[in-house]
Amino acid sequence: MFKIWKIAFRDLVRNRRRSLLTLLAIVIGVSLLLFTGSFYDGVFAGSLDMSIHLQTSDLQIRAQSYDADKISLDWKDLIENPQDLTGQIEAIQGVQAVTPVLWASGMLLSGSESVGVQINGIDPRSPIYDPIRQALTSGEMFAADDRGGVLVGESLAKSLGLSVGQNITLVTNTANRETDQAAFTIRGLFDTGVAQYDDSTIYMPLEKAQTFTAAGTRASAIRILLNDRTQAESYAAAFAAPGLQVLTWKQLNSILMDSVNASAAFIQLLYFIVLGMVAVVIANTLLMSVFERTREMGILSALGMKSRQILGMFLLEAGMLAVVGVALGVLFGGLIVYYYSQVGISFGQDIMEVKASNMITYGKVLYTQFSALKTMQLSLTALIMILLVAVYPASFAARLQPVQSLHGK
Amino acid sequence: MSAIEVEQITKTYKIGTQETHALRGVTASFNEGEFTALVGPSGSGKTTLLQIIGCLDQPTSGALRIKGQDVSRLNADQRADLRKGTIGFVFQFFALIPGLTAYENVELPLLLNGEGTAARKARVLELLDAVGLSERANHRPDQLSGGEQQRVAVARALSVRPLMVLADEPTANLDTENGKQVMEIMRRLNQETGVTFLFATHDPRVVSYATRVVQLRDGRIDDNHSAIPTV
Repeated sequence: MFKIWKIAFRDLVRNRRRSLLTLLAIVIGVSLLLFTGSFYDGVFAGSLDMSIHLQTSDLQIRAQSYDADKISLDWKDLIENPQDLTGQIEAIQGVQAVTPVLWASGMLLSGSESVGVQINGIDPRSPIYDPIRQALTSGEMFAADDRGGVLVGESLAKSLGLSVGQNITLVTNTANRETDQAAFTIRGLFDTGVAQYDDSTIYMPLEKAQTFTAAGTRASAIRILLNDRTQAESYAAAFAAPGLQVLTWKQLNSILMDSVNASAAFIQLLYFIVLGMVAVVIANTLLMSVFERTREMGILSALGMKSRQILGMFLLEAGMLAVVGVALGVLFGGLIVYYYSQVGISFGQDIMEVKASNMITYGKVLYTQFSALKTMQLSLTALIMILLVAVYPASFAARLQPVQSLHGK
Repeated sequence: MSAIEVEQITKTYKIGTQETHALRGVTASFNEGEFTALVGPSGSGKTTLLQIIGCLDQPTSGALRIKGQDVSRLNADQRADLRKGTIGFVFQFFALIPGLTAYENVELPLLLNGEGTAARKARVLELLDAVGLSERANHRPDQLSGGEQQRVAVARALSVRPLMVLADEPTANLDTENGKQVMEIMRRLNQETGVTFLFATHDPRVVSYATRVVQLRDGRIDDNHSAIPTV
């Protein structure tokens, strides 16, 4: 490369302000994209994690006829003797936790106010409910044999002026297609960070829920946590049995997964728009450089430098700007991503969309998530795009005729 | 033997439908070691002839032979290769690469020719010494005076031991003293190295250094003879 790299480097240094502004454009572009990508990744990973822990688990086993949208309590739609099945699954290697759950729709009455809620009949000893235990802001988790205790979302309690120890009345549909109502005492308040979830969810012991809804010993589903979530499909196949449906976390979070794919396409588009803008800045910088250095090209040509060497010199300049700019962009963007992965971005009010069986949950605080692979892909895309657009000004310089160049034309 | 021969060289520029005849059939030969001044008024074709001899441009018709080899129809890469090893240039404007030091400017043609490090260093130092700029080796063009820059250009032109050095108005942008200095250096190096020098000028003081004068007028040689000018 002779001293071509040196000439290229010196030109960048000589035009310090222009080079710095160009570098700044690359750094801002790459940082912005890195942050945006990491933000989306973090939001979806956090949302998925939250949804899996609060609602879906890695696997769910339900009766074949169970329709989660209807939150059916018909016996035919429920799992008979869920404890037997739970015991069998618990013994399988790779299963971290398993527990039956009973869902029912109901209404919370307090004074003159009433609020629609989803009742979750759970086994409070299961580690699957550790997130709820950890989300308790006051009071405590009820015992499995508690006949009158419930957990209420803190935000719901606040809106109704309720606190731990106070009584509420719950009305629910039953398996007999009738309604029943009973008084409960609030044992604890939880704050999952998803206000809308907290506003509409009531937890009570499974046995009490079964009695309350006349479901007998039946459950709506069996929730399973695996040691390795990526193996969910093979476990689902292994658990398949007549009359049962086994759903993986991907199926249970289909709306979220669709959103991930849609946002991935959006991010790709954003990448090309932002990188395109950065590329135009680079092309403009190099073209300016070509115009300013026309005579220099003539001198180099007179000294015997060939067109392709002149082309190489300009590509080298673009390459140096690109490598340094992208590296600084990754460093700067990486620091921002790291900061927000620790501190999070607080939105105050949460953003959430709930559908009976498919829920997208976004917490009040969203965290970025760094991905080395995506950063590498972004860096490579940026480098390639910058070099591609540099071909035009570089080939423009390479095509200059020595005689015209020497006269600065 | 002639170092350079031009035979019935014409050069016509077309701008739109208008044709300009810069050279109208020039025939001349230049021997090795000559120190020739190409003189003539502006527009007489001096620069065009130098550019064609220097393989920077191609003639519209006619032949250019360097050391007996016809080079008038070489492609761009072949001409670049020929320039790299055979021809040194000194231009009117101080045509140094702005980002490189005096040392690096002189070194550049040697690098392009693939010279080894030790040989390169020895040659650059020798030439900078020859033009009296050893002390200024690490200065960049913007830190050198016009005369110093032109002396670096002379050193650079000679770095690859070319067959010929072509200089287009080498003193036009220099004051009298610096112009004299540059011409004396060129003449001395011509005598010491035997390299053919062909320079375009219309400055009578510059012409006085020539061992031969070739007069151009309206794209033709008006007077072609070897002589120590009396101007």
